[in-house]
Amino acid sequence: MMKKRSKHEFKSNTMPAMVTVGPVAILLLFLVVAPLIFVAVMSFCQTDEFYNVVYRFTAVNYGKLVSEDYLKIYAQSLLIAFVTTLICVLVGYPFAYVIARTKSKKKQLFYMLVIIPFWTNSLIRIYGWRTFLGNSGWLNKLLMTIGVVSEPVEFLYKTGTTVLGMVYCFIPFMVLPLYTAIEKLDDSLLEASSDLGAKPVKTLFEVILPLTASGIFSGCIMVFIPCLGYFFVSNILGGGNTDMIGNLIERQFKSANNWPLGAALSIILILVTLLLVKIYQKLGGDMDSLGV
Amino acid sequence: MKKKILAAWISLSLIVVSLTGCGSAASESASKDQGELNLFVWTEYLPDSVVEKFEKETGIKVNVSTYSSNEDMLAKVKSETAGAYDVLNPSDYMVAQLIAQGMLKELDFEKLPNFSHIGDSYKNPAYDPGNVYSVPYMGGAGAIAVNTEKIDTKITSYADLFDPSLEGQLVVLDDFRAVIGMTSKAVGYDLNETDPAKLSEVSDKLMELKKNVVLYDSDSPKSALISGDCSAGMIWSAEVAMAMEEVPSIEVIYPEEGAYLFFDNWVVTKESPNYDNAMKWINFIMEPENMEIVLKEFPYLCANTDAIALMGEEYSGNPAKNPPADAISKGSYVENLDSATLDIYNEMWTKLKE
Repeated sequence: MMKKRSKHEFKSNTMPAMVTVGPVAILLLFLVVAPLIFVAVMSFCQTDEFYNVVYRFTAVNYGKLVSEDYLKIYAQSLLIAFVTTLICVLVGYPFAYVIARTKSKKKQLFYMLVIIPFWTNSLIRIYGWRTFLGNSGWLNKLLMTIGVVSEPVEFLYKTGTTVLGMVYCFIPFMVLPLYTAIEKLDDSLLEASSDLGAKPVKTLFEVILPLTASGIFSGCIMVFIPCLGYFFVSNILGGGNTDMIGNLIERQFKSANNWPLGAALSIILILVTLLLVKIYQKLGGDMDSLGV
Repeated sequence: MKKKILAAWISLSLIVVSLTGCGSAASESASKDQGELNLFVWTEYLPDSVVEKFEKETGIKVNVSTYSSNEDMLAKVKSETAGAYDVLNPSDYMVAQLIAQGMLKELDFEKLPNFSHIGDSYKNPAYDPGNVYSVPYMGGAGAIAVNTEKIDTKITSYADLFDPSLEGQLVVLDDFRAVIGMTSKAVGYDLNETDPAKLSEVSDKLMELKKNVVLYDSDSPKSALISGDCSAGMIWSAEVAMAMEEVPSIEVIYPEEGAYLFFDNWVVTKESPNYDNAMKWINFIMEPENMEIVLKEFPYLCANTDAIALMGEEYSGNPAKNPPADAISKGSYVENLDSATLDIYNEMWTKLKE
């Protein structure tokens, strides 16, 4: 005799799968997959005399991508992103370590201090830096009052200023994954290391860093990748003198009005991103800690 | 006791409900009657007070969006759904381009009696013969601003801005047609140069400018001059006027070669869902009293002769606010270029900004 089906059992898996995963899948299809396909298609299109996109196949946009000027801009973007990431690690790690390991009640407060700037739009905060660093800004006023300099120092509109702005924007993205990784660190391992006679430096390099490497990796990915696209930081703090890939893409969609070329540039940026994430995975990075 | 509190609550909530009910009903009927108007204008070009005055007088709800270059505006209008904007504020050459692409709707001059306040020399422009699609608003020149306290060299032309002594001191407009046009003028060619051989010379000259420019800014180039971060530059003439008010040692200079000129206009998009409101707006802004409010805040060259009369000597006697006639007659406007030439311009611009 056949076993009687339970009331709550479905005949097949299709229906429950559709209901649970369906809405998300549809959202992803419309909001991620379709736009990406559109970008890819557009990157092979041309423009007419009025800059309208004409759907006629050409590979000419990809040919333009390897021009000397563009290569220079890619190199300079990668360099700026690299330096930004490096500074974020060097500054962010000790900071994250302190807030993660502190036993003090101020822990929540420190954590909030990282989060609170997010409540203000980054564009506005970057304009704030421009006012702060200007020739008649507060920093120069302070330096001149205490007599460090007699003439205002020109902080603004240099590549270094762009890097400063980037570090400022992205340091929370470094600190938060580091915090999570460091908080998981087991005290007993540190005690064991010390009991077995390791000096603090040795403990740092052979116990703490390897155990928090996943946090460092994901922090680096989360800083490096968006850094390539943050065009407004180099526009506002760099004065528009040091273009990055983001600026190039922005210009194609705005003043140059060459959407197909902008699409081709975006595809390159997407490929760079995928490559970096792939490297991250190969190095044993955890996709969950990227928040994806 | 409990009953009393309950009664108080009920009566309080009834009052709230009835009040909010009234409020929403009233506002709904107002918006239904008068509708909306979507303006798309240049940044720092239209005071909020004028828009509020229009809203108060007509009951039309105005949504203002801003842009900082003609090309940005075009890209945005094309990428939005049709009819997202009613009224645009394009410059001369962009009006011609919008007309050529069939993106504009003809103006109904029966609804624009205030057109009579516009000076005759501003009517019937080359980019829109017979003012079929546009009425002029304000304009000016890409003027040279110099802080004479910080710069000793005498500057009289665009070419002087390329002098090595100005290294790291300039602010220029973040506008490729303005900057490349200025450079072309500086080497003795046309603002709208198309000859590739001449353009390669212009490209070399641009590299000299690269060392001098620290900031590209079209939104508010005066700020860098006022804060002292830059001591000279090529910026909108009215921006020089505003900088002069803050820092008296700043001077305005119209270049010997003839300045880059621009004139911005009011046009209505083809798909505009609020055509009548758009007409009301254009007529309103041509009213001399309203234009006077604009000029007090943004003292550009103005097409409205009757508004200029209201402004008096303080405006008309100031060369940065009201550029002298010979500066205008010597200057030239940006024209539309073929796409091959535009490609060259874009390459030059990338080289300059990399």
